[in-house]
Amino acid sequence: MAFVIAGPTRLHGTNVGPQLQTLLIHQIRSIERHHMKKHLSRRRFLNLVGAAGGSTAVYKTSMALGLMQDTGPVAQLDLQKAGRNGKKVAVLGAGIAGLTVAYELERAGYDVTVIEASKRLGGRNLTVRHGDIIDELGQPQVCNFDDDPDLYFNCGPARIPGHHRRVLHYCKELKVPLQVKANMSRPAYTHEEGKFDDKPVRVGRYTADARGFMSELLHKAVDKNAFDQPLSAEDRERMLQFATAYGDLDPNGIYKGTIRAGYKSGGFITPAEHYTPMDFSALLDSKFWERGMTLSENPDWGEPLMEVTGGMDGLIKGLVRNISSPITTNAQVQSISLKENGVDVVYNHKGEREKLSVDYCFNSIPSHFMSGIPNNLPAEYRKGLASLQPGNFFKIGLQMKERFWENEGIYGGITNTSQKINQIWYPSHGIHGKKGVVLGAYAFFRQSAFFERMSPAARIEFAGKCGDKIHKGYSGYIEAGISVPWGRMNHMMGCGADWSPEIREKYYKLLQQPAGGRHFMIGDQISYHSSWQEGAFGSAEYALLELDKRVRAASARSGKG
Amino acid sequence: MQNQIRCWLLAIILLCVSGAPVFAENELPIPTDDLAYCSTCHGVQLMGNPILKAPRLSGMESWYIENQLQSFKKGWRGTHEGDVVGMEMRPMAAALSDEQINQAAEYVSATRSALPASSVVGDIDKGKVLFTTCGACHGQSAEGDPAFGSPMLTTVDDWYLVTQLKNFKSGIRGSHPGDIYGMQMRASTQLLTDEQAIMDVVSYISTLRK
Ligand SMILES: Cc1cc2nc3c(=O)[nH]c(=O)nc-3n(C[C@H](O)[C@H](O)[C@H](O)COP(=O)(O)OP(=O)(O)OC[C@H]3O[C@@H](n4cnc5c(N)ncnc54)[C@H](O)[C@@H]3O)c2cc1C
Ligand code: HEC
Ligand code: HEC
Repeated sequence: MAFVIAGPTRLHGTNVGPQLQTLLIHQIRSIERHHMKKHLSRRRFLNLVGAAGGSTAVYKTSMALGLMQDTGPVAQLDLQKAGRNGKKVAVLGAGIAGLTVAYELERAGYDVTVIEASKRLGGRNLTVRHGDIIDELGQPQVCNFDDDPDLYFNCGPARIPGHHRRVLHYCKELKVPLQVKANMSRPAYTHEEGKFDDKPVRVGRYTADARGFMSELLHKAVDKNAFDQPLSAEDRERMLQFATAYGDLDPNGIYKGTIRAGYKSGGFITPAEHYTPMDFSALLDSKFWERGMTLSENPDWGEPLMEVTGGMDGLIKGLVRNISSPITTNAQVQSISLKENGVDVVYNHKGEREKLSVDYCFNSIPSHFMSGIPNNLPAEYRKGLASLQPGNFFKIGLQMKERFWENEGIYGGITNTSQKINQIWYPSHGIHGKKGVVLGAYAFFRQSAFFERMSPAARIEFAGKCGDKIHKGYSGYIEAGISVPWGRMNHMMGCGADWSPEIREKYYKLLQQPAGGRHFMIGDQISYHSSWQEGAFGSAEYALLELDKRVRAASARSGKG
Repeated sequence: MQNQIRCWLLAIILLCVSGAPVFAENELPIPTDDLAYCSTCHGVQLMGNPILKAPRLSGMESWYIENQLQSFKKGWRGTHEGDVVGMEMRPMAAALSDEQINQAAEYVSATRSALPASSVVGDIDKGKVLFTTCGACHGQSAEGDPAFGSPMLTTVDDWYLVTQLKNFKSGIRGSHPGDIYGMQMRASTQLLTDEQAIMDVVSYISTLRK
C-alpha cells in the first residue's frame, strides 16, 4: 500500500486513553502470539486445565492466554459448593463489589455477613429522591425534589455501555430493567465563554463544520499530492471520495455547509434553509474538539448507552433482593486482623463493639481509609494500599419546573460548557412530563474542590447562573436542587483509586492476590476500570475465582474433591 | 492522666507482643453517631490518616481540642485561601454547637491508638537547642501547658507538626486578629529560619514521645 493512514494503535478509535490503548494493544498482541502457535495443542492444554479445575479454570486460563476478551462473555461462576458447614465470610462494604461477592458466595453455600459503615447500602451507586439524605461531611442535605418516581438523580453511576458485560450480566440475571440513555446529542449545545459571541452552538452544527473543514483540507492535500509517499491513482481517487463523503463537500471538494449541521429553518412545508459554515479559525480557537466532540467515540461513553429504569440504584436493589445473608449497616470496621486460619474483623454497631471471626474476608473499603484502620496485613500490601490516592467527582442535580429543553428540540444528551459546571445533562426518561431533573454540574477530579468549598445553596445558585448563559431563563426554572461532592461524602471521601503506571506496575498484582490467602481486596479500586461499576463487578469476579482456586486445591489435597 | 498513660502503655505493649492490632478493647470509647463522623477522616480511634492529611487526635488534651474546634468554627483556621487542608476540617467544626464541641473534646481525649511511627528526619541535636525556646511555653518535655494555651506536642503525627509549623510561619495559621494563641505561636516561628530548622526541631520533639 502506498499510503499508510494509521498504524495499528490508531485503528481502535482516536480517543482511546493511553492506558486503554496499551490494554488493547496488549490483548491484540497476545491473541496474535497465540494464533501463531499450534491450535491443537492449545485446545488440548485447555482440556487438561478443565479436567483439573473445572470450567472456571478454563475461563481464567483462556483470559490469561488472551483467547477471551476481558469484555467477552461473563464467567459462569460455578464456585465449588461450600458444603454443610459452610465456611464463614465477612464482606466489608455494601457497594457493588461487596454485594456481588455476598450474592455469589451465599449461592455457593457460604455463611456470609456484610458489614457496612454507612446508614444506607450501595456505596457510590446512589440515586436520590424526595426526602433522601445526602451525607456530606459537615453539611448534610435532604433531597427536596417532589415526591414523584420520575424525579430522581443518579449521584454516582449513570451510564452503562454495551461492552460492560458483567454489569449487563447481573442486570439480566437479577431482572433489573434497562433503557437506552442518550449521551452525545446533536441538538444539545457546546458553549464556550468568549467564543462564538458567547452563544451556545448546536453540537451537530459544530461537528459538521469541523469535519467539513478537515475534509476540505484533506481533499486539497490529495489534490496536490502533498504526501511523503506518492499515492497511487486508485488510492487518490478513493481518498477524494472519502473526503467528500466524510465532510459532505461539494463536487469541487469545497465545504459549503451541510444538512448535517441541522436546519436553520423550513424543510417541511417551506424550503429548507441551511446554515452557512462558521468561521474556521473561530472553530479552531474553540475547545470543543479537544474532548467533547469525540467523547462518545471512547467505548465507555459510546452510543447507545443504557441506564437502569427508575434509577441506577435498581441494580443495588436487585442484588439486595436476592441476598438473604445478614447485612449490617451503621457498622464501621474498627480493625482487621489476619490470622493463620482466618480473619478477625471488629466493628462498632449500636454502641457496641462486635467481633466477627471468619475464614475469608472480602474488603471493599476505599483504599484511602485503610491507613486509618488498624490492621496487620503484610507490610508491602499496606504500602500498596497507601500508595493509592482517591479520585474525585462532583455532581449537581436540579429539579426544573418545566422541561424547557424539549422546546429547543433537545431530548436527553449532554451540553458542554467551558464554565466550571462543565456539563448539563437532560434526562432521557419522563419525556414530555411536566418536570424533570437535569444534571446541572459535573466536575472531575481536582475541579471538584471549587464546589466542595461552597454551601449547598451557593452551589445551586452558581449552577443556575452558568445555565442562564446557555438556556434563557434557566435559573428561573430551578425548583429544587442537591449537590454531591464525592470527596466530602461520609465513608467515601473520593471516588475510586488513582493508579499511576509506576504504582500499577509495583502493586497491582500484589493487591489482587489475597493477603495470607484470606483477605481479598476488592472494589473498582482493584481494577483497570476505577470509577466504573464494571471494575467493581470484575474485581469481585476475580477474587471469587481466586478463592475457588484455593478451595478446590485444598479439597483436592484432602481428597474430598 | 494516670489512667491514660496506663492505657497507652498497655496498647503499645500488646501491639509489640503480637504484631497484631490488639488494644485494651474495653477501654476504647465508642462514638455516638454524631461523633462517628470524625473517624471517617481521622481514622479508627482518631489514629490519624496521612492520606487524608487528617492528624492523629487520640488522647489529645480536651481543652486544646476545644480551642481548635472553636478556632475552626470562628474561621481563624481553615479560611485562609492557602489553607486547603484546613478547609477540609472547617465544615465539621462549623456544624457543631458549643455543647457539641464540648462533647467532641471529651470524646477525642478519651480515644486510644498506638503512636504513629516517626517519618521526619532532621538533626536532633540542633533541634534540641531550638526547642529550649519552645519549651518555655510547651514545657521542656513538650507536655503542654494549659496556662499558656500551648498543647502537648508528643501525641500528634510528626508530619502534622511540620505542616502546622509551616502554616504558622507563612501566616496561614495564627494571622487572625482574634486568634491570640495562634498569633503568639506564629511569632515564635521566627526562630525557625528555614525548612531545615523545622525538620530539626520536629525530629527532636519525636524523641520526647513516651
Ligand atoms: C460521580 C460518579 C459517576 C460515576 N459514573 C459511572 C457510570 O456512569 N457508570 C459506571 O458504571 N460507574 C460509574 N461510577 C463508578 C461506580 O459508582 C463505582 O465503580 C462503583 O459504584 C464502585 O463500587 P465498589 O463496590 O467498588 O465501591 P463503593 O461503592 O465505594 O463501596 C465501598 C463501600 O465501603 C463502605 N465503607 C467505607 N468505609 C467503611 C468501613 N470503615 N467499614 C465498613 N464499610 C465501609 C462504603 O460506605 C461503601 O458502601 C461513577 C462514580 C461516581 C462517583
Ligand atoms: C473531612 C475530613 C475530616 C473530618 C470528617 C474531621 N476532620 Fe478534623 N481535621 C481534618 C484535617 C484534614 C485536619 C488538619 C487540618 C490542618 O492541617 O490544618 C483536621 C484537624 C483537626 C483538629 C486540629 C488538630 C490539631 O492538633 O491542630 C481537630 C481538633 C480536629 N480535626 C477534630 C475533629 C473532630 C472532633 C471531628 C469530628 C467532629 C473531625 N475533626 C472531623 C479532617 C477532618
Ligand atoms: C509564646 C509561647 C509559645 C512558644 C515560645 C512556642 N509555642 Fe508553639 N504554640 C503555642 C500556642 C499558644 C499554641 C496553640 C495555638 C492555637 O491555639 O492555635 C501553639 C501551637 C503549636 C503547634 C501546633 C500543634 C497542633 O497540634 O496544632 C506546634 C506544632 C507548635 N506550637 C510548635 C512549637 C515549636 C516547635 C516551638 C519552638 C520553635 C514553639 N511551638 C514555641 C505557644 C508557643
